[in-house]
Amino acid sequence: MEENTSLTEVKAGEVEATKKAGGPAEYKKPHKAVKKKSTIAKLVLIGIVLVLGVIFAFVPMQFGFTNYNPFAQSISLGLDLKGGIYAVYQATNTDTENFDSKMEGTRSSLESLLVSKGYTEATVVREGESRIRVEVPDVEDTSEILSIIGEPAEVSFVLDETSETVITGDDVVRASSFFDSSSGGYAVSLELTPDGQDKFFKATSEHVNETMSIIVTIGGESTTISSPTINSAISGNAIISGNFTEESATKLADQIMSGTFDVALELKESETISATLGEDALYYGVLAGIIGFILVILFMCLVYRMLGVGASLSLFLYVVIYLFFLAVLPWVQLTLPGIAGILLSIGMAVDANVIIFERIKDEYRNGKSILASYHAGFKKALFAILDSNVTTIIACVLLLLLGTGSVKGFALTLLVGVLISLFSSLVISRGVIKYFINLNSYDAKLYNLKRGKQFAGLSADATDAAVQEVMDKEAEEKRLAKEEKKKMKELEKSAGKARRAQESEGGEA
Amino acid sequence: MKNPIESLLEKDFHIVEKRKILFAIPLAIVLIAAILMIIFNFTLGSPLNLGTDFTGGYTVDVQLPNKLTDENFGEYRNRIYDLFEEITTEDGNTYSVRIDGIQRQGSGASSAIHVKYFAVRGVSESEMLDQVNPAIQKKIEESVLLLIPKVDISGKTITLTYGEVLSPASLEIRKTAFSNLLKDELRDIVTVSGEAADAVKLNPDNNKQIVIECETVASTDEVKSALAAGMKISDSWSGQVVLSGAVGATVSTELIFNAVLAVALALVFMLCYIGLRFQLSSGLACIIALFHDIIIMFSFMAICRIEINNTFIAALITILGYSINNSIIVFDRVRENKKSIFNQNMSAADIANKSVKETLMRSINTTITTLIMIVMVAILGVSDIQIFALPIIMGLISGTFSSICIAPSLWALFQNVGKKKKNGLTKKEKGLPAAQTEANA
Repeated sequence: MEENTSLTEVKAGEVEATKKAGGPAEYKKPHKAVKKKSTIAKLVLIGIVLVLGVIFAFVPMQFGFTNYNPFAQSISLGLDLKGGIYAVYQATNTDTENFDSKMEGTRSSLESLLVSKGYTEATVVREGESRIRVEVPDVEDTSEILSIIGEPAEVSFVLDETSETVITGDDVVRASSFFDSSSGGYAVSLELTPDGQDKFFKATSEHVNETMSIIVTIGGESTTISSPTINSAISGNAIISGNFTEESATKLADQIMSGTFDVALELKESETISATLGEDALYYGVLAGIIGFILVILFMCLVYRMLGVGASLSLFLYVVIYLFFLAVLPWVQLTLPGIAGILLSIGMAVDANVIIFERIKDEYRNGKSILASYHAGFKKALFAILDSNVTTIIACVLLLLLGTGSVKGFALTLLVGVLISLFSSLVISRGVIKYFINLNSYDAKLYNLKRGKQFAGLSADATDAAVQEVMDKEAEEKRLAKEEKKKMKELEKSAGKARRAQESEGGEA
Repeated sequence: MKNPIESLLEKDFHIVEKRKILFAIPLAIVLIAAILMIIFNFTLGSPLNLGTDFTGGYTVDVQLPNKLTDENFGEYRNRIYDLFEEITTEDGNTYSVRIDGIQRQGSGASSAIHVKYFAVRGVSESEMLDQVNPAIQKKIEESVLLLIPKVDISGKTITLTYGEVLSPASLEIRKTAFSNLLKDELRDIVTVSGEAADAVKLNPDNNKQIVIECETVASTDEVKSALAAGMKISDSWSGQVVLSGAVGATVSTELIFNAVLAVALALVFMLCYIGLRFQLSSGLACIIALFHDIIIMFSFMAICRIEINNTFIAALITILGYSINNSIIVFDRVRENKKSIFNQNMSAADIANKSVKETLMRSINTTITTLIMIVMVAILGVSDIQIFALPIIMGLISGTFSSICIAPSLWALFQNVGKKKKNGLTKKEKGLPAAQTEANA
C-alpha cells in the first residue's frame, strides 16, 4: 500500500514535469540491446517447446522401428465414446435373508473395486432381480473382465487335524499382493476384520505345531495352496505364501476380494459393447473445442493485443500439458461431458489472465509506466487468483477423497485443470509477457493500455528505467527499514532479557 | 475513440441500492419453476425430468441371427426407434416408450442389439413387466427379425424373401451385400455368368425379394450353410428377443450421498478459508450466491424440462467452482478497497458498488471466454452433450449475475447489521481525518 501511494506521488510529480515541459517527453532508446537478444532467444525457446508439445500431443510418429503414439490419443475414453465390454453376473444364492440389500452391497463393492482399478466411468447396475450388469469402458478383450473383476474365489483357512475352518472370505477386509522379502517371493496379504483377527489368533495359539491348509475355491473347484505348520500364534493379518509371481499373487488377491462380496456371483456372459454415442459425437466435440479455442484466442488478442498474444501462448501450453496429464493420470476416463468440461476449463483458464490484464490496465490508467504496471498488475492480481482457486481446489480435493465413481474422476480432471491453469497464468503468461515488454516497453498501443484523464498528457515511457529505479530504491528502503525494525526488536529483546536477568539476580540477592 | 463498453464502465450502477429489483429476478424464476413443477407433477407424473441414470429403466436384447455391420446396425437402430413410438399392449392401451440408448453388443455370430428404455410415465412396475414389456418383445420379433430373409432354392434360382416390403435404399444395401457374398463365401458353391453384381436382381413386383440367377448351384444345404456362414446366420434362422426386466439406476444413492457430503464439507472448509483470508460475512455471501446459482440451475432444468442424468452432477460441480471463483474476485476488491486509506469513510454499500464497478470488465470478459467455449459445444455437439451444456450456460450466466448483483449487496447488508449491533463504540473510534478523503476524488 505504501509503495502504491508513493509511486502515485512520483507519477503526479512527473505529470507536472511533462506538462511544464509542454508536451510528452521524448523517447530515448534504452540501452537494452544485449537484453533484447537474450529475450528473443527465450521467446524462440518457448516457441520451440510449444511446437514440440503440440507435435508430441497430436502427431503419430515413427522412430526407427518403434511407433510413437501421441498422448492425446492415449487418453482413456468412457463408454459413451469408445464402448468397452460388459458382463452379466448371476447371484447363485438368491434365497438368503435380506437378499435385496445384499445385492445392493455387492453392487457398490463391485463399483468401488472397478474405481480402485481406474475405471471411474464403469457402470454397475442391477438387472432384474438377481443379476448385476457391469460395463467397463476402454477395454477391448472380453477375457479381460476376469483380470479386472476376477473370478470370485472363496478362501478358507482350515486346521488339518480337526478339519475346523478358522477364517473364510467373510473375515477378509482387503486382500493385496506384496513382495515378501523374507521368502524372496510374492505373497498375498489378507487384512482381517477384528472378529477375524481374534479367531485367527485363538486358533493359531491353540494349535501350535499343527498344520493349517489354505484352500481356495474357484468355480466350485477347491485347491489347497499350501499347508504351512503353525510355528507360533499369529496376530494381525494373515499371509498366503506359495510359489507366486507378481501376476499370480495380484490375481489371487483380486479373486479373493471378489469372493468377499455379500452375494456369490457367477459370470453369465461377457461381450464387447459399442459406444452409446456415434463416432461423430467425438468428432464434433473436438471440432467445437478447436473452433472455440480459436475464438477465445482471437478475443484475447483483440481485447488485450500483445498481452493477449502472451495469454494465448500460455493457453496453448495449458492445453498440451493438460492433455499430457489426462493421458498419464489414473481415474481419468473421458466421457463426452468430460470433454465438454475440459473445453470449459480452457475458457476458465483465461480468467486468471483477464484478472491480471485488467489490473495492468488499471495501473497504467493511473499513471504507471508499462513495466511498472506489469509488475504491479501481477502482484496485485496474485492473491485474488490464489484465493479464488484455493476454494475450487478445496472442493475438488474433498470430492476426490469422498466421491464415488464418476464424481471422483470428474473432480480429479477439474483439480488438475485448476493447478495447470495456475501454472500457465502465473508462470508462463508472466514470463512471456515480461519478454514482450522487454522487447517493447514504450508503445502502450501494443498492449491496448490507455491513460486515465488526469494522466492523458503523460507520454510513452522513456521513464521506465527511472520508475524501475524508484521501485528498486523503495524496495531497498523497505528492506532496510525491516532490518532496522528487526534490529530494534532484537535490541529490545536483549535489553529486556538483561533487565529480567538483573531483576532475578536482585531477587536472589 | 471510446467504445460503448468503456463508457458503460464509467457509469455508477448503485447495485446495492437496487438490490430489491435485482433480488426479485431470481426469486421470480424460482417461483415460476416451483409452480411449473407442481403442474408437471400432476400432468406429467413427476416434477423433474429424471433420466434413467437416476430412475433406472428396462432393457431388451435383440439377438440377431445375422452379422451386424455398420450399415444394417444403423437400419435396425432407426427401426427400433420407430417402433417404440407406438407400443400397443394386449389390453389395447397404446404407449410411446422413450429409448435411452441403443448399443451394439458382441460381434460376429453372437451379436445383439442392446436397447435401454424408460418406464412409461404413470404406468406401474407390474404393468410394465406384465403388459408393456411383452408387447415390446412381440413387436420387435414381428418387425425387426423379419428383416432377415427366408431362402428358397429352386433349380438355378436362389430367392431371398423378406417378411415385409423394404424401401428401395435398404434393398440396394442388401443387393450389394449378396453380390459380395457371391464373390467370397459362395464363390466355390455358386457360379454366375458375368459380373456378380449383375446376377443379383430385385423383384420389382413386390419389393421384398432378391433373386440370384446362377449358372451352377451346389446342393441346397450347402448353399444355405454357406449363406449362413457368410451372413453369420445361426441354424435356427431366426433371432431372439430377450427381456431382462428392470434395470437399476447407474447413479446410486450412495454416489449422491457421498457427493453431497463432500460438497457440504467443502462448503465448511471454504467458509473457514474465506473467513480467514477475507471476512466471515464475505464467506456467507459467497455461499449464498453459490446456492442461488445451483437453485437457478435446477429451476432452469425444471422449467425447460431438460433430462437430468449423471452429467448434471458434473455440471453442478463445475458451476460450484466457477461461482465461488467469481464472488471471490469481487470480494478481493472489496478487501482491498476497505483497507485503502482513501476509502475509510465510505459506507459498506459504496465500497461494494465501487468494487463491482472495478471488477466489471473482468467479469464480462471471463464470462465471454467461458461462454464462447460452452456455446460452441452446445451448437456443434450431439443432443447428449447439449443436455450437459445448457445447464452449464445457465449456471455461467447465473454465476456472473450473482457475483455482481447478489453477493456484494449481501455483504454490504451483513456489514450494516454488524455495525448496528456494536454501534455506540465504533462511531467514536471511526472519526476519520478529513484530509485523507480528498485524495479519493
